[in-house]
Parts: sequence; C-alpha cells; structure tokens
Amino acid sequence: MNATACFHCGEANPASPVILARVQGRERAVCCPGCQAAAEWIDTLGLGDYYRLRSEPALRSDLGFDYSAWDRPALRRLHVRETAPGRAEVIVLVDGLRCSACAWLIERAMRSTPGVLEVGVNALARRVVLDFDPRKVALSGLLAALARLGYTPHPLTAEMIDSQRQRESRDAMKRLAVAGLGTMQAMMMAVALYAGVFDGIDPAVREFFRWLGFLVATPVVLYSAQPFFRGALREWRSHRLSMDTPVALAIGLIYLASLVGVLVGGHEIYFDSVSMFVLFLLLGRHLAMRARHRAGDVVDALSRLQPALAERREGSAFASVAVHELEPGDIVRVASGAAIPADGLLRDRACRIDESLLSGESTPVRRDPGQPVIAGSLVIDGPIELEVRRIGADTVLAGIVRMVTHAASERPRLARIADARAARFVLRVLTVTVLTALAWAWFDPSRALPAALAVLVVSCPCAFALAVPAALTRAVAVLAQRGVLVVDADALEALATADRFVFDKTGTLTEPSFERTGVQVARGTLDDALGIAAALEQGSTHPLALALRRMAASAPARSAAQLRQIAGAGVEGEVDGVHYRLGRVDFALGVDPDRTSAPTDALVLADADGEIARFAVGEQARAGVIDLIRDLKARGIGCEILSGDCQDRVDAIAARLGIGECTAKADPAAKLARLDALRKAGHVVAMVGDGINDAPVLAGADVAIAIGNGSAMAHAASGILLASSQLDSLIEARRIAGEMLARLKQNLGWALAYNLAAVPLAALGWVPPWLAAIGMSASSIVVVLNSLRIGRRPSIAASGPSPATGKHVREAAA
Amino acid sequence: MNIILLLIPISLVLLGVGVWAFFWAVNHAQFDDLDTPALTPLSEDAETVSEEDAP
Repeated sequence: MNATACFHCGEANPASPVILARVQGRERAVCCPGCQAAAEWIDTLGLGDYYRLRSEPALRSDLGFDYSAWDRPALRRLHVRETAPGRAEVIVLVDGLRCSACAWLIERAMRSTPGVLEVGVNALARRVVLDFDPRKVALSGLLAALARLGYTPHPLTAEMIDSQRQRESRDAMKRLAVAGLGTMQAMMMAVALYAGVFDGIDPAVREFFRWLGFLVATPVVLYSAQPFFRGALREWRSHRLSMDTPVALAIGLIYLASLVGVLVGGHEIYFDSVSMFVLFLLLGRHLAMRARHRAGDVVDALSRLQPALAERREGSAFASVAVHELEPGDIVRVASGAAIPADGLLRDRACRIDESLLSGESTPVRRDPGQPVIAGSLVIDGPIELEVRRIGADTVLAGIVRMVTHAASERPRLARIADARAARFVLRVLTVTVLTALAWAWFDPSRALPAALAVLVVSCPCAFALAVPAALTRAVAVLAQRGVLVVDADALEALATADRFVFDKTGTLTEPSFERTGVQVARGTLDDALGIAAALEQGSTHPLALALRRMAASAPARSAAQLRQIAGAGVEGEVDGVHYRLGRVDFALGVDPDRTSAPTDALVLADADGEIARFAVGEQARAGVIDLIRDLKARGIGCEILSGDCQDRVDAIAARLGIGECTAKADPAAKLARLDALRKAGHVVAMVGDGINDAPVLAGADVAIAIGNGSAMAHAASGILLASSQLDSLIEARRIAGEMLARLKQNLGWALAYNLAAVPLAALGWVPPWLAAIGMSASSIVVVLNSLRIGRRPSIAASGPSPATGKHVREAAA
Repeated sequence: MNIILLLIPISLVLLGVGVWAFFWAVNHAQFDDLDTPALTPLSEDAETVSEEDAP
C-alpha cells in the first residue's frame, strides 16, 4: 500500500503523526483530519466503491469552514428557490467535480442526507441540483455536507437557474425533432407523388397528397426554421448580411412557391426539399451548439465565478460574511490571487490588479491607495484592504455579466475573418441569383424561378461560415474534456504554430516540497518558526507558500497583519507586533545579493535581529514534464527555462530534463525582455507558467499557458489553462491545435471548391431544387463532420487507465 | 386503396402524440444531461450488498 500519498486526495502525507482512516475494513493513511473524516464518512455511507470507480484523486477535504453565513435570509432568498411548500431547490457549482465517479459519490452521499429529496449531478457542467425540505435541513447543512466530501460548494443565484443555455439546448432539440419527423413524412408524401408521375395517379389522390405535404412541412418551416428567419431579420435590421439571409430567403421562397402550387394546382411542389433543407441546417447548427456548450460550461463555471463570501473587518478581526451582506463603507480584506468582492476604494497600500475580466487587457494595472478597484478583478500581490462603495447589481461586473450572458458575442479573430468572408460571399450569391432570374426570364420565364431557387439553395455560405467556428468549437470542447481549458480561442492558433516553449521553473516544471528535517532553526523552536512562516504566507497562493503551509499544519496557528508581497522576493508582515520577512536570502536579511558568499535556495525567515530559521526547499519534477520535453524536442521545438531562481538549481533541473538554454535569476522585467527578444527574432513563443506570479510575463508571450487549480486560476492572464496540472496534457493540446488548423484549412478549401463547382451549374438550370437542397446541406454536413474528427484519434493518455485509477484498482485487489 | 385515406391521418395523429411526448420529455429535463446517468447502473450490485450489510 502506498503510504506516502493520501488515500483520499493523493497529496503527500505528513511523516508524523500518521493519520489513518478505516475504509472497507482496511487502514488507509491520509494526509489530514479533513481527509480522514471524508474517507470514513464515505465508507459509513456504504460508498467505499467510489475509490474503485474514480479516475482522479479527490480534492483535499477542508474541515471547519463555516457555512452558516449562507443561512441568513438575504442570502438564502437569492440562491434558494421555493418550488412547493416544504420543497426548495438550490443549484450549486462544485469545485473538484472531476470525473463521473465524483458525480456518483455526490449523488449517493447527498441522497442519504436527511431532508434531501432529490439530487441531480451534471459532471460536465460541474453543477449539483439539490431538491430539499427546508424545514428539515438548512442550506448551510447541505453545503457543509458537500464540503465534507471534499468538494467546495458555490451556490448559484436563482436567476441563473433557468439559464439561457438550457433553454437554448431544449429549444434546439425540439426544433430538430419536429424537423426530422416532418421531413420523414414529407418525403413519404413526395415518394407517392413521384410514383404517381410515372405510374399515373388519380388527380383527387394527388391533391390529397399535396395537401398532406403542405400539412407536414408547415410546422417545419414555421417552427423549426424560426431561428433562420429571426437571424436574417436581425441582420437585415442592422444592415448586414449573414449566412441566415440566403437561407431564410430560400426557405421562404420555396415554401411560398410550393404553397401557390398546391392552391393553384400548377407546377412542382418542393415540401420535401424545404423540410430536408431545414433539417440538415438544424443538424449542423445543433452539433456546433453542443460543442460550444460543452466548452462554455467548464470555462464559464470557472471564469464567471464571483466570490460569494468576503472577509469583512469587524472590530480588530476579520469575519467571513456573504458578499450580499456587505454595505457601502465596510472594510474588506482580499488575499493574493483572490477576486475582489465589491467595487470600492483601495485603502492601505499600492498593489497590482488584474482587470482582464473587465477590460480584456491582461497586463495588471497598478492601483494606489484611494483609487477605485472593481469587483471581480484579481489582486496579484495582496493582501489588500478596501472600502466598499458599490455592491451586488450596482457593480461594474454585474453590468458586464449581463452583457456577457446576452450573447457569446466575443468571437475569435479567425471566426471574425471567416464571417467577413461569408458576408461578401452572400452578397455575391444574391447578385448571381438576381442575374440568373433576369436572364432566364428573358429566355424562358417558366424556368426562372426554379433556376434562381437552385442558385440560392445550392450555394453554401454556411460551409464558409461554419468552417472556422465548427473546427474551433470542436477543438475547444475536446480539450476541455481533457482538462485543457481554452480561455481565448486565438491562443489555439498560436499554440499550433509555436516553435519555442519557455518554461517558468518553480511551480511549472517542478513542485516544491519542504521537509521538517530540512529546517535549520537559528533561534527559538521549530514550531514557533513554522507558525510564523505559515502566518506570513497565509494569503498567498504561490506553490512555495502552499507547501510551507502544508508542512506547518501541525504547528500552533498564528495570525499576521500588514502583509505585503514583493514579487520574486518574498513576503513581509507583522506577527504579534514583530516585523518579519520571509523569502530569498538577500530579501529576508536585507543584504545585497552579490555579497552573499554562498547563495542558497532556501527560504529564510528573519526579523530585524537577523535570521530565525532557514527552510530548505526540496524539488521534484512535476508529473509529465519529462514526456512533454521529449515530445517537443522530437518535433524540433526549442525549449528553454526562464526562472527567478538561482543558477545552480536551474542548471540542475535543465540538465535533468535535457533543456539546453536556461536563464536564472531573472526578475519579471528580465523575463519580459527575453520573451520580446525571442519574438523579435521571429519565434512564436509559448510561455508556460503558474499563472499568478507570472501574470505579467505570461501576457508577453504569443500564447500563455497557465497551470493550476481552483477558481482563482481562471482569472490569470493566460489563453490556455491546464486544469489537470498534468503537463503532458500539453502534448495532446498541441496535437489537437495542429489538427484544428489542418481541418480548418480543409473546410475552407472544400467550401470554396464546392461553391465554385455548384453555382454555375445551378445558374445554367441544370440542378433541380431538390438536388440543390441535398448538395447544400451535404456540404455543410461535410464541414461539420470533418471538424468533429478533431480529437477522434485516441490519445496516449486516454488509451490506458490513468495512474490514479490503476493504483486504486491494484489496492482494492490486494 | 381507400384505406390510406384513413391510415395516413391516423399516422399523422400518432406523429403528433410522439412529438408531444418528446416535448414533454425535453421540458422535464430528460435530455439535459446525457453523460452522467451512464455511470449510475455500474455499481448497483455493490450498493445493494452494502445496504444489506448495514442493518
């Protein structure tokens, strides 16, 4: 049995004391009391199978977080919807819902919680819907139960419950069903009519079938095809042409022409063609929509997460309260890497703030005391204090969220280019149609309408318009399923063409680890030093800080004030009235780095009198790093390390990984300069970093890739996020991005070739409208199917069981 | 042959019933999540055993 990694969450176990949890009759070592409680609770519920089914380790379970703030009426009203007396519904977004086994665990565990009536879990959207009896269980109880399982709950507000997305997908499904069934019926009527043309048919029966055709095609045109008419109308009003314009025109014209045919009893009718046309168009749209939703679900879940709780100053201490309870004038503290809960004024000191969520500008901006800060933006180097000015629906963020939910209008550059191309194409098609109709009216008026219809229908702007978004959305969705979140679709293009990968070292290539035996205490006791260090690092999300806090978990907790982080150096602050510094040797001891005789990589804790303790940093290469580097080198892509760490360590890691170029002791400005130099030399540069400390540097690369976990990550300045923390998923991401570019070119090539071949034939009157409908729809379907092939080839990672599953299966078998 | 005059309207009525049933299912969240329920049956046996053990 693997005793070094926690049985529940997979994190490293403390050397002592050993904490054991009893699961399915066996003692398992876990890392903390939280995980112990989670594992044992899961076992007592009879859900021990979770450990066998899951494919990813769970999140570390946090005990002791107080959810009672959620029971305050003001907050409750916002999130809980009363559906019937004694029945209420709440939708919770959960962090750490990673695989289907998690969904299974949450469903079973929550169902056995008293007062819970029904549980629905959507693993892809990371949402849990809880129906509960508010008289038997409080919202805080439900949230605490979720937290006890190791999933951090974030209740969503009631107005988001009936989300636009759900309505959209339900509508699409209904329209598709009506179009499909209607098309089948219309075809049957049409077959009878065609058979009648050859074998003779009673005119009364012929009339009957024509009317039936009209009957079944009408819902298809009036209900299923509505989106096309609406789209065309909207574009028309804003004086633009989109791919909806010729589609709507064609559907309307064919339908009306056929209706006239039925009423007058004249020429051919095309109810089958028009239904099929609508069906295939809807199919293409439906596939694109599903891909978009899948990608959007995960990214949105992270990036639109506003903080629900804030740390408000009450007297001299800070208490955790719901954001909705904040009032203008309150003082709130925000930690490094956390989002600001409300609009307000910065109070205590200058800091850098990432407002990319609001402005799209990913370079952090500097704010001085007294300047306004905006809810939802991210504090890069906190903690800071601010005075609340505007809350809730009045904040700038709330306004932006309203705009964002209105439309996913932010389209990537590639898609905008394709749109412009499609619009020009539509204009040409309409011109050709008019010319065709006029020409035929001159030669043979009876063939003018069918020929013009054929041109309108056979030309396929959809193939153009779909070529790019179909490939993009598919690639984004495939990557999202594999833990690679594409925040900015343009980043995919850059990733595929990147010919130089630059890695940050700490937290990217390596994971830090501390050992109690590696601590040299100069003054005081070990526990004292650990307590002070953990207090200083309490607001930080830097991996070193996390590792340090993990080691210090057993030391008595202290609290720190006036914390200030200096990027690339360390942190300073006061604990019990004494001023301490923790960080690199030169920073902590306040000496010139050049004069320290033997630079070490240890973190040093010091006060005004000098060194107190020295924490030796151990390092281990992250999972998948070696595979990634080997793969990149095999493809001739240059790799280099750009690190703020000291030379020896960087050299050691570079040698171990076989990376030739490396720069050590680089501060953010030097890193940016290096990236600029590389880009000036003509390289397309991909920068891989941990997202928070590297934010300004990441913004300087062509494509920024950030690694990490948690919601704070999503705000970091990067185009691509590796949610799984597995660097080797980048191999996969590169391959898929390359495949996407290839498919995209194929799509555009196909659309061009098809239209060049089909339009002249139709204008000459050689293509009957029904054949045109098939050709046009088939051309769109080809584009969509071609795009869906992205990511079809099985990946290396997906072909075998993941290491975590394998380990647990072996354990279960033993 | 005249039987089709009866059969076709009947088929259309049945079609209407089918469409109504589908709309009902869509509106009652039957199609909202097509991925998670796939795992539900996998461990049904193990759970029954543990439930029997529990009392």
